[in-house]
Amino acid sequence: MIAFRGSLHKNTVARFYSTASKADLIKTPLYDLHVDYGATIVPYAGFAMPVLYKGQSHIESHKWTRTNAGLFDVSHMLQHKVSGPGATDFLQKITPSDLYSLPPMTGTLSCLLNDNGGIVDDCIINKHGDDSFYIVTNAGCRAGDLAFIEKELSSGAFDSVSHSTFEGALLALQGPKAAQVLQKFTDYDLSSLYFGTSDFVALKGFLPDKVHVSRAGYTGEDGFEISIPVDDAAREFASALLELSDVVKPIGLAARDSLRLEAGMCLYGHEMNEATTPIESSLNWLVGKSRRSDVNGFNGAKKILSQLENPKSVTFKRVGITSKGPSPREGNSVFSFEDPEKRVGVIASGSPSPTLGGNVGQALLDKPFNKIGTKILIEIRGKKREAVVSKMPFVEVKYHRPS
Amino acid sequence: MFNLSRVLITRSTKAPVRAALAQSFPVFARRFNSTNTVNPDSVVFKYSESGPLKVKYTPEHEWIAYHQDGTAFIGITSYAADSLGDATYIELPEITEDSIEQGDTLGSVESVKSASEIYSPVSGIVTEVNEKLHDSPELINEDPMGAGWIVKVKLANEAELDEGALLDTESYQEFLKQDAEEH
Repeated sequence: MIAFRGSLHKNTVARFYSTASKADLIKTPLYDLHVDYGATIVPYAGFAMPVLYKGQSHIESHKWTRTNAGLFDVSHMLQHKVSGPGATDFLQKITPSDLYSLPPMTGTLSCLLNDNGGIVDDCIINKHGDDSFYIVTNAGCRAGDLAFIEKELSSGAFDSVSHSTFEGALLALQGPKAAQVLQKFTDYDLSSLYFGTSDFVALKGFLPDKVHVSRAGYTGEDGFEISIPVDDAAREFASALLELSDVVKPIGLAARDSLRLEAGMCLYGHEMNEATTPIESSLNWLVGKSRRSDVNGFNGAKKILSQLENPKSVTFKRVGITSKGPSPREGNSVFSFEDPEKRVGVIASGSPSPTLGGNVGQALLDKPFNKIGTKILIEIRGKKREAVVSKMPFVEVKYHRPS
Repeated sequence: MFNLSRVLITRSTKAPVRAALAQSFPVFARRFNSTNTVNPDSVVFKYSESGPLKVKYTPEHEWIAYHQDGTAFIGITSYAADSLGDATYIELPEITEDSIEQGDTLGSVESVKSASEIYSPVSGIVTEVNEKLHDSPELINEDPMGAGWIVKVKLANEAELDEGALLDTESYQEFLKQDAEEH
């Protein structure tokens, strides 16, 4: 494992490691708090991020989030504001979302599209009002996203649109006890804030201004993402949450990945990339109903709408898989069960499932091997092992929705 | 041999997880001073009355405990078990009459974040596998140098223990310490 450290920068996912030495890593506003809680810090997308905390194994961290409340530092993600006349049209050119129909203070998963319909990044777009949006994109795609947005804005058609990014703390509080915990810090009635919506909420005693709270997350649990632009206030608030140690624990990147995988969620660079369309990534729903007629309506619309119209033209799809025994891992080849020499796809993500036992994963599989219930073989360490195409999410999601 | 570096590059899931193991050293630096020794209360020690004649280590973090009758237990060190995190699945070899060569794959240890192959430090014949690991993979974390032993082998050539890259306890600890300093 020590040898590996040397090779980290040479052989592995270079795009995540924009800096050569640990000293150059960017620290989030919560860095010292992570260290105080005994975090193992790793370089991730140019940031020094906690992966595990002292006294909690990966599985313990994962299960804690499924039963209590986990606090994640997601400040490394990039927060944007897009506003001004034409902002909606601009976003509707670079994404397939129907943002005119999106009610104010509501968010949606979306994706930035290149001209071929490939995914530049996935993102959450929150509509704050007509032509006013708050967007969160992936840390690992920062440079690419900024170049992409700048290029798209420079076309001349959107000169009145203003785009800016801001740093600060972004916290995710996730788990069945997230709401009762956050409610202790505000007079805002959180029971009225449903999954997918957001509001500006006053955190009693922490800072004079209200902060942006969205009921959202990346775990499949109920929870919130809280954007606090004032670093000191963010640290104090995070510390106060962690003092409720019977219900809140800090959770690092390791469990963040296994939680999202059980919830069947995509991770950019794995289930989706510049060469996969939202249709191939099984994210058809990202293409708004009103966006399905104009082949010049958004980047790559011609290809994406043609794929929607002629599903047979889509040769592979993202699917869930389950198995026992050794876990499928990213890059493992998938073969036909009936014809073990026939390669039919590749694993995008996979790991043992702490909640379910056995393994869960996602694969990009050729049709018709993508049908739920299809037996497949996954080559893991030189042996082909049985698995089955399965429905996602693997673990039931528990969002706070109107009853 | 148990080569985390090799396994991680090719088989782990994603960057943060790869980085997790790569950066795990500071956390475990405390531990390597004390616990990379065979558990004296376990079968690994008590298999023969006087305990193992020799305990050796590979730079890839396997241990081998050799007893007078030519039998040896093989497993992964406490350091390696800590670095891997919660073991979720242990793949064990089939028992056959075929011999294995030094460096052959004996199986693999899997955690949520990664999988690592275990390579044989010696040549010989696998005589028994630790079936308990099927139902209780956590033994790898709880007692990696005792109840979490992985296979039992009959050595083909005892001299292999004193050749090549195998380390004694002191050299293994020194090896861990040097690595910590270098990185």
